[in-house]
Formats: sequence, structure tokens, C-alpha cells
Amino acid sequence: MARPKSRSIDYAFYGLLAVTAALFVFEIFFVFLKTPIESRMGIVQKIFYFHVPSAYAMYVGATACFVGSLIYLVKPSDTSDALGRAGAEAAVTFGAIILTTGPLWGAKAWGTFWTWDPRLTTALLGVLIYVAYLVLRSFAGDGDGERRFAAALGIIGAANLPIIHFSVQKWGGQHPTVITGKGGGLQHPDMKIALAMGFLSFTLLAIALLWARTRVEITQSRLRRAEEDAIDLGLDTRTEA
Amino acid sequence: MSDPKDNIAPHDHATAANAPGEHTVPAGDAPDDRATTFQPVTGPQPEHYSGEVLLVSAYATLWVILIAWIALVWRKQSSLGARLTDLEREIDKAAAAKPQR
Repeated sequence: MARPKSRSIDYAFYGLLAVTAALFVFEIFFVFLKTPIESRMGIVQKIFYFHVPSAYAMYVGATACFVGSLIYLVKPSDTSDALGRAGAEAAVTFGAIILTTGPLWGAKAWGTFWTWDPRLTTALLGVLIYVAYLVLRSFAGDGDGERRFAAALGIIGAANLPIIHFSVQKWGGQHPTVITGKGGGLQHPDMKIALAMGFLSFTLLAIALLWARTRVEITQSRLRRAEEDAIDLGLDTRTEA
Repeated sequence: MSDPKDNIAPHDHATAANAPGEHTVPAGDAPDDRATTFQPVTGPQPEHYSGEVLLVSAYATLWVILIAWIALVWRKQSSLGARLTDLEREIDKAAAAKPQR
């Protein structure tokens, strides 16, 4: 039986993890020790350097889910399904981060944890679509029908991304537009470096986590096939995976 | 959940983009008055949040979510990998033994 040799891929994966971890250490150091405190909001503004890159990482996860889902609908395969599922999980994880760090910032800046602002509402809706995807995949079985239905959800979730992104410009609301639209931008070079580092580290983290999660799904598919081979050979495969 | 208009802290009002509502500061809020009288809040009670606590909460949440997810993925990969290795070894053994039967 031919089995994939994955030693060099493993090294690349662990290398990516190491670079990501190093970038995060640098980012934390830079944000807390180097970047100036914002004059009107105070120290709570430093949430921004992780909150915005998390939103971007959610877009990366959602895009991966969209690509995997689209490929699965055109040409079903374990790999495209794995990418779609990994993307949905990344979108939920980073979505959970933006939906918790944002309100913690809002408590100080707005005086309230939550308001039904267009950006907040559409972001919540987006995360709930990916939660629905994962609930479907976890509880409705792993057949082709379920996979196709989930892929359709993955495409609907991606359709919501531009709505989230342009909601502030289109419908206003309280959500800041510091780096988008007519925002005045970051007024200190270190603030810009901190945000750029945040984008870079979260992009690498999103890629690393997507990779890790896709590996899990592919290993699961390999295990399923190995179990079928074992049954053909008359082996006992009752051990829990 | 309370109405945002009720909760705007006067200090942070200038920072909020399109921040709704105003909080009325009680008359006689000078340091001397604070030393000699305690006055009850009139109208909606303002909430004051410590920026440090909020910042630490946000970062703690971020790392708890990420570490929990990474740990789950790591554990799942390890158990699946171990099971696959065992099964493939068994299959190889059975396949090698088959022609001798």
C-alpha cells in the first residue's frame, strides 16, 4: 500500500509555527513596550492591535472555507472538504476573538459592551453561519449530502464577508473607521508598525491553524480508508480513534 | 442589556465615534465637596470600566481561545496519527502473512 511520506512537509509546518510564535513574541513586546498609549482612549486602545488582525484572520478562514466549499461542489474530494471545514473552524475561532475583544474595547470607548451597530450585527451573523456549518458537520454525519449542504453554507458565509466589511461605509454606525473609509489613520509610526506586525502574525497564525486542521481531516480520511483495508483483510478495527 | 445612552462615561465621551447621549455631572463636584459630602447619583448611573482590566481581559480571552483550539487540534492529530500508525502496521503484517497461508 502506498503511503504519503510527509517528513519535509512536517518540517515546513513546524518552521511556520516557529516563525509565527517568534512574530507573536515580538508583537506583544512591541505593542506593550514600544507603541505609545492613545491620548483619548488610554491603554484600552491597545486591544486594536489584535482585534483588527483577528478580524482579518477570520476573513482568511472564511475565504479558505469558500474555496474548499466551491471546489467540493465542483469536484468532491476529501482534501477540498477538509479545507472547507478547517476554514469554517478558523472563522469561528477568530470570530469568537473579535466578538469578545471588541465589546471589551466598547465598554470603555462607548460605555456599553454591545450595541446593534451594523458592523457588529453583520459580524455576529457571519460567525453564526460558520457555527451552523460546524454544527451540521458535527451532528449530521459525514456523507456526501451533508458535505454538499455544508459547502453551500460555506459559500453563503463568504457572501456575507463584503457586507461585514462595507457595513460601516454603507450604513454608518458607531464602529470606528480608523484605517478604512475616511478614517484619519494611525498618527504615530510605531502604531503603524504594531498594526502591520499584527496583520502579519495573525495571517501566519491563520495559515498555520488552517494547515494543522486540514492535516487532521486528511489523517481522518486516511484512517477511514485504512479501516476499510483492515476489514477487507479480516482484521479487527473496533478500537476507538 | 442596558441602553448604550445610559452608560456613557463622561471621561470617554470624546473618544466615542458618534457616541450617543450625555451624562449629567452632579452640581458641586469639586474636591472640597467630595471631602465633606456624599451625594447620590441622580438619573442613569454611569458605568466606569478600568482600561487595564479590560485590556488584560481581552488578551486573556484571546490566548485562552487560541490555546484551547490549538490543544484540541494537537490532541486530535496525535490520537488519529497513533491509531493510523498502529492500523497500518497491522495491515502490513496481515498483508505479508497472507500469501503464506
